[in-house]
Amino acid sequence: MPMGTVLAFKGIEGCMPLFHGSQGCATYMRLYLAHHFREPVDIGSSALSEKGTVYGGAANLKEGIKNLISGYRPKAIGIATTCLAETIGDDIVQIIKEFRIEEPLASHLPIIPVSTPSYSGSHEEGYARALLALAKALAKRGEPNNKVNLVIGSVLSPADVRYLKDMLNDWGCGDEFILLPDISETLDAPLVEDLPAIPEGGTPLQDVADTANSRETLTIGGRFQKDFAGAFLEETYDVKSSLLPLPIGLEHTDLFMCRMEELTERRLPRKYETERGRLLDTLADVHKYLAGVRVAVFGDSDIVVGLTRLLTEVGAVPAIVATGHRSPGFMAEIRATSADPIILCGADFTDIHAHVGKGRIDLLLGTSNGKQISQKEKMPLVRVGLPNHDRVGANRQLILGYEGAGRLLDALTNALLEERSRK
Amino acid sequence: MSVIKTFEGREGHIARKAGSDPMSLSCSNESLAGAVSQRACVYSGARVVLNPLTNALHLVHGPIGCASYTWDIRGSSTSGPTLYKMSFSTDMKELDVVFGGEKKLATAIKELAHKYHPPAIFVYSTCIVGIIGDDIRAVCGQAAAELGIPVIPVKSEGFKGNKNEGYKAACNALFELIGRRDYESRSPYTINLLGEYNVAGDLWAIKPLLEEMGVEVVATFTGDGRVEEIERANHARLNLVQCSGSMTYLAKKMEEKFGIPYRRISFFGLGDMSNALRLAAEHFGQPSLMDRAEEIIERETARVMPRIACHRDRVQGKKAAIYMGGAAKAVSLVKGFEELGMEVVIIGTQTGDSEDYRKISCIVKDGTVIVDDANPLELRELLQKQKADVLVAGVKERFLAYKLGIAFCDFNHDRTTSFEGYDGMVNFAREIDVSLNSPVWKLPKLRASTLEAGEYGKMRELIAMRESGAAANV
Repeated sequence: MPMGTVLAFKGIEGCMPLFHGSQGCATYMRLYLAHHFREPVDIGSSALSEKGTVYGGAANLKEGIKNLISGYRPKAIGIATTCLAETIGDDIVQIIKEFRIEEPLASHLPIIPVSTPSYSGSHEEGYARALLALAKALAKRGEPNNKVNLVIGSVLSPADVRYLKDMLNDWGCGDEFILLPDISETLDAPLVEDLPAIPEGGTPLQDVADTANSRETLTIGGRFQKDFAGAFLEETYDVKSSLLPLPIGLEHTDLFMCRMEELTERRLPRKYETERGRLLDTLADVHKYLAGVRVAVFGDSDIVVGLTRLLTEVGAVPAIVATGHRSPGFMAEIRATSADPIILCGADFTDIHAHVGKGRIDLLLGTSNGKQISQKEKMPLVRVGLPNHDRVGANRQLILGYEGAGRLLDALTNALLEERSRK
Repeated sequence: MSVIKTFEGREGHIARKAGSDPMSLSCSNESLAGAVSQRACVYSGARVVLNPLTNALHLVHGPIGCASYTWDIRGSSTSGPTLYKMSFSTDMKELDVVFGGEKKLATAIKELAHKYHPPAIFVYSTCIVGIIGDDIRAVCGQAAAELGIPVIPVKSEGFKGNKNEGYKAACNALFELIGRRDYESRSPYTINLLGEYNVAGDLWAIKPLLEEMGVEVVATFTGDGRVEEIERANHARLNLVQCSGSMTYLAKKMEEKFGIPYRRISFFGLGDMSNALRLAAEHFGQPSLMDRAEEIIERETARVMPRIACHRDRVQGKKAAIYMGGAAKAVSLVKGFEELGMEVVIIGTQTGDSEDYRKISCIVKDGTVIVDDANPLELRELLQKQKADVLVAGVKERFLAYKLGIAFCDFNHDRTTSFEGYDGMVNFAREIDVSLNSPVWKLPKLRASTLEAGEYGKMRELIAMRESGAAANV
C-alpha cells in the first residue's frame, strides 16, 4: 500500500513522500523502487520506535515533517500511514492540523495524508488512494478552465508518461490537459551538473488544484479500484468523469485515440496514424512466430488486461492470466477478452508456478518476480511492469500506444527466437 | 565546528578525524525522523541474517508487503536447496488484525510443512504482530510438537529498534537450533564460520583453503547453510566471526554455553584473508597446520598479486568513500583500499557502536570524515566536499553516486560479484578500476553549443577537423 503512494506523490512537482511507521518500511520501499527505476528515491520516515508505538507517534511524525521541510524544502508533503501507525490508531489528519498551528513554516505547505495499511491492499490500491487524497486535499474550486484532466490510474513507466505528454503536444493540446501524476522526469531524471534535492518535474501543484475546474476527467487504467480521483471530482466539483482501459494493444489504443478525438475535437495527428499502420505491419510480420504461443501473463491488473488483449490480437494464447489484486471486474474483463484462460486473482507466484507447470506454457510475460519460474522451468520471461529488478531499462520501457504495442511484440518474438536458436 | 550543515540533532554523528586520540561519535540511538536514514528495521535485520539458511522454511507473519520486499533480495548463493529463496507470508488482512492471526499462522505452518517438508521453520513477527499481541511462541511450540521439527519464532517486530535488534533476534533463533545433533568430526581442528553469508559465492573461495589447511568447517552461519549443520555447530572448537555486528552476540552465547572461544576475522583483502588463515592455524597450536597456512598464503598471494597490481596502477592515489551497514566490513575496506594505494576520505556505517567508531578513528588518516547513520543529503554533501572519486555502499546509495557523477562499487548483501578471499580481492580491484576509470565520467555534463561564445571556437574546430578528415578519406 504505502509503496503505491510514492509513485503518485513522486509525480507531483516538489512533493516529498513520508511514511508514518517504522524506519524499515521507508528503507525497503526505497530499495525496491531505486532498484526498479535506477534512480535515487528518497522517502522520509517518522521512524517510529517502541516508545512511539506505545505512547502514540504524534511527536515522531511532527519531527519528521519538520526535518523533511528543513532538509528538502519541498513544495508539498504526502504522508502515507503504514500498518503500525494505523493499528496504534494515530489520527494523522489531527496531527497535521496541530502541526500547522505549531509550526509557522508549514502554514501554507500542502500536506496530504493518505491511509494505507498494507494489510488492506497492495500498491495498486495505495496508488489509487494517493491520487484520491491528492484531489481531496488540493483540488480547489475556481474559474472554469475548459481543460481535461487526464489521470493515469495505474502505475506506468516514465517512458509511458512521456509518450502521453508528447502525444498531447503533437496533438497541439498540451496546455488543454492536466496530466496527473507525471513521473516522466522525477523517476527518470537526467544526470546534470547540479543535482537538485528533489528531482525536477511532476504535475504542478497549481494544476492539481485546477483539476476541480476542468470540464472533464478521463482516467486511463485503475479501473478495478474502489477509490478513484475522477469520481471524487465529479461528485464534488461536477467534473464529468469517464474511465478507459490503458491504451495497450491495437484495440484499446484505438479506443483511447477515439476518445481523445472527442475531447480535443481534432483528428488524430498523422504521426499516430502512421504509427498505427506500422503496428499493423508489425502484427503481420510476427503473427506466425506468435501463433498459438501459450503465454502466462502476470502483474498489475490493468496492465495484465492490456497485455492479454494484445496477445489475442496477434493470435497468441494467454493461457494463464494472473494478478495479485482481487477483483470480479478483472475476472469478467479477461473472460470477455480471451477464450478460456486460467484466471488467477489474488494470486501468488506459487499459484502461478503450479499452473505453469501443468499448462504447457511457452513464454512468461510480467514482472521480474517471475524469474524463479523462468529459471526453474527454463522458460523465457519478457519483463513488463513493476518490479523489474534484474534487467535495465524499466524506466524507458514503453508499452502504451501503437508504438508501445509494436515494441512489446518485438520483445516477445525475439525472446522466443532467442530461446529457439539456443536449443 | 561541524563538518557540514545538517539536521538539528545530527551534528554529533559526523566528525572529522584529527590528531592521534581515538574519537567518539554520537551513535546507537534512534534514527532522526524525517532525515531519510539509510537504516532498515528489526525485521529486516533478522531476515538478512537467517535468510541464507538454504533448506529452512522462512515464514513471515504479517502483511504481504514485509515478505514481498524481502523476497530473494540477498545475493547469498546455494550449492543445493532453494527453499530459502521463497518468501512465505501469512498475508494478514484487516480481519486478522482485528481478530488475531494465530489461527491463520498455525494453518500456514502446517500447510507449508506438509508441502515442503523442511527440516526447520522460522516464523518472523512483524510490527503488526507485536501490536495485536499474537502469541507466536505458543503457536510455534504447538506446531513443533505436532510436526516433530523445530518451529522457531523470531521476535523481530519492526519498531523495536534498528537492525542490530534484528540481528539479536536472529541469533536467538539460531541458538535454539544448536546442540540438537551429534557429530563425529573428520578433523580434530574444527571451526564454525559466523557472519559469513556466501554472498555471490564468497564462501566457496574460502572454505577450500581452510580445508586444504586441515581445518574442518562444521557449520557456516548462515551462508549456504543447512539446518543440520547449525544443529551440530556445538561440536566445533573455534568460532571465526566475520560480520561482527550481526554475530558477536551469538558467538558470546556459544562461548558461554558450549565453551567455544571466538575470534574476529575478515576474509576481505589480502592482508585480512591471510591473517584469518594464520589465526585459525595458530589457535590450534599445531606446527604442521601453521606451516600449511603459510604455504597457502604465499602461493595464493603470489598467484593473484600480478592481477591486483595491474588494477592498482590505475587506481592508486584516488579517493574512496565507504558507507556500510556494519562496522566490521567498513574497517576491512579501509585496509583493502590501502592495499590498492587509495585514500579513504569518508567512512560511515548504519549501525556501528561507540567502540566501532573508536576503532575506525584509530585506523583512518587525519582529515577523513566519519559518519553514523547518514542520509542522502549528508552523503551527497560529504561526497562533494571530500572530493570522493568512488563510493562503496549499497543499492540505495548507488544511484545517488551516479547522479553526482561518482564511481560506485556495490559491497552490500545483494551484490553479485564475490569480493572475499584472494580471487575476491582481484574482483574488487577490478570493480573499483572499471568504475573509476570509466569513460562515462569524462564525458561533458554540459553540451558545448556553437551558439555560445566560449565554447564556439572549440566546437567549430572539432567540426572542421571531422569535415576535413572525411574529405581526406574520399
